[in-house]
Amino acid sequence: MIYADRNTRVIVQGATGNQGSFHIGRMNQYAQSVGGCGVVAGVTPGKGGKESGGVPVYNSVKEAADAHDATASVMFVPGAAAGDSIMEAADAGLELVIAITEHIPVHDVMKACAYARMRDCTVIGPNCPGLLCPGEISMGIMPSHLYTRGEVGVISRSGTLTYEVVHELTRAGIGQSSVVGIGGDPVIGQTFAEVIDRFSEDPQTKAVVLLGELGGNLEEEGARMADLPVVVFIAGTSAPPEKRMGHAGAIVSGGEGDANSKIRRLKALGIPVASRLSEIPGLIKEMV
Amino acid sequence: MKLLEYEAKEILKEAGIPVPKGILIRAGDDACAGAAQVGDLVVVKAQVDVGGRGKAGGILMADSSTVQDTADRLLSSCIKDVPVHAVLIEERIAIEHEYYLSISIDRSSGSPLILFTASGGVEIEEVARTNPEAIRRSTVHPLLSDVPGYTIRYLLNGAPKELGPVINRLYQVFRSRDALLAEINPLVTTPAGVYAADAKIIVDDNALARQGISENRDLTDRERKAEEHGFSFVELDGSIGVIGNGAGLTMATVDLITVLGGRPANFLDVGGGADRVRVAHAVRLLGSMPGVSVIIVNLLGGITRCDEVAAGIIEAGVSQQVIVRLAGTNEEEGRSMLNKHGYRMLDTMEEAVAAAVEVAR
Repeated sequence: MIYADRNTRVIVQGATGNQGSFHIGRMNQYAQSVGGCGVVAGVTPGKGGKESGGVPVYNSVKEAADAHDATASVMFVPGAAAGDSIMEAADAGLELVIAITEHIPVHDVMKACAYARMRDCTVIGPNCPGLLCPGEISMGIMPSHLYTRGEVGVISRSGTLTYEVVHELTRAGIGQSSVVGIGGDPVIGQTFAEVIDRFSEDPQTKAVVLLGELGGNLEEEGARMADLPVVVFIAGTSAPPEKRMGHAGAIVSGGEGDANSKIRRLKALGIPVASRLSEIPGLIKEMV
Repeated sequence: MKLLEYEAKEILKEAGIPVPKGILIRAGDDACAGAAQVGDLVVVKAQVDVGGRGKAGGILMADSSTVQDTADRLLSSCIKDVPVHAVLIEERIAIEHEYYLSISIDRSSGSPLILFTASGGVEIEEVARTNPEAIRRSTVHPLLSDVPGYTIRYLLNGAPKELGPVINRLYQVFRSRDALLAEINPLVTTPAGVYAADAKIIVDDNALARQGISENRDLTDRERKAEEHGFSFVELDGSIGVIGNGAGLTMATVDLITVLGGRPANFLDVGGGADRVRVAHAVRLLGSMPGVSVIIVNLLGGITRCDEVAAGIIEAGVSQQVIVRLAGTNEEEGRSMLNKHGYRMLDTMEEAVAAAVEVAR
């Protein structure tokens, strides 16, 4: 597993909203089923002393982390305040922040991620479904019943597309080591390349599925430097230019990042690219 | 959201970047009187959000005797199918040299990226293809509030020093206006000094509220409806309507239709945790598209309730065939509800898409 395991003590920022309280419950259900620590506290400024999803709520990350020895956070804070919350977590000494929040202004993301890097705090997301290491920990909103423990790592810019592929892998008898949603925004904390680095150092992981989409060229950057076998799928091959396909980052702009030329360049590097999702398990079996 | 040229230039002017003297004219305005304040020789520029505006006839030369005619002509025309609601009348300036300057976002490092080249006046992609060494590029650390002097010297690469302050001022604009792109092309030198002859600013849609910008795009009725319901929606030109949840899965569904030989009519992401009301709105929206002969609903999720989704599809009751793939909570209830009403529910995404392509044929 990478980034976290069953011993990781997690806080939730934005703990008292609908999403926050609902997912604290689900994450802790998972933690209970695998014997992990799970979510130990929540943070919502002004709601200190209350309870949410069965855990105590604090006014600041510092208070929560100090009281419960937490080292990681999952964040549901609304977009306008989310950049600030990432920096608060980094300042409080957390090592890992997973930002689920969508619609954070990109300038806030740039500043917050740069600040967190200076504080040695790793940011995953924003606009992502989180991290799930089967049998160890769920940090985010992924539907854990589709997952099984195994040897294949998955990295993805999208939520439901990840679930679809994990579902296909599980049905084909291929388990997962860790599944990381890196987010659908143009600027994200951990890119494909950084996650692939982690997988390379993880003895459990034998191959990686990389689920990309149109926009930017982070998929190539990641696949190029992988020293593990990699299978790629790129969504958005039939997207028209200059149209945003749902994700803020899923847009061809300035002639950069259209899905078909991305696929051509990956294939030229000798990297197997699936043209439909159902091909992924077969390609993985060929390589491992 | 992309600002129009005159809006972008107002912002540059406020930030201390000189722009040519100009005046905005709308239909019915007195172009002659306007032009008189600007100069005798003028350029009349259609204010439309269209790439390649000059080549498409959206930028015309005029003088005091022809300016009214020229403005009227542009104001009653369309540039690449976009109607012209306003024109900018600008003084003609004596250009000595054209430069290119832009600030955008470098996804790889997560920082602002400045591009500068002395080969301005043409599209930057063109320069990148024909003369890539002519482009200087530098990222700036996101926590810096000014562009460092050494970075400016590197970017200028011997170009006139007076361009340096423009780089830093554009960086201030980029930051303070939540821009995804701030571009001046061309940035020109003239005997009277430096000017931003054309300007483009794209503002982050996630920051429109704090920028006090209300979105005022030309949307089709269907696009407006989709926006009201909070759907991500893009119209394509095929016959198979697509509803999915999550951008990636929806895109992959659209792609698979193409791979299997069908033609997708749209991209519609209903978002997470869709309930019966949202699903019914989405199905009705696609049902109202004239070219759509079949609709595929592909929803997968842990917290999506299949009985809710089924109820929404049944409630919408559109005339087109609806093919459904659902995976989530209460899957069996959803399936039996749909079966009772004669809808086809298939187990996998690939089966469902193949069935939709078959029906469309």
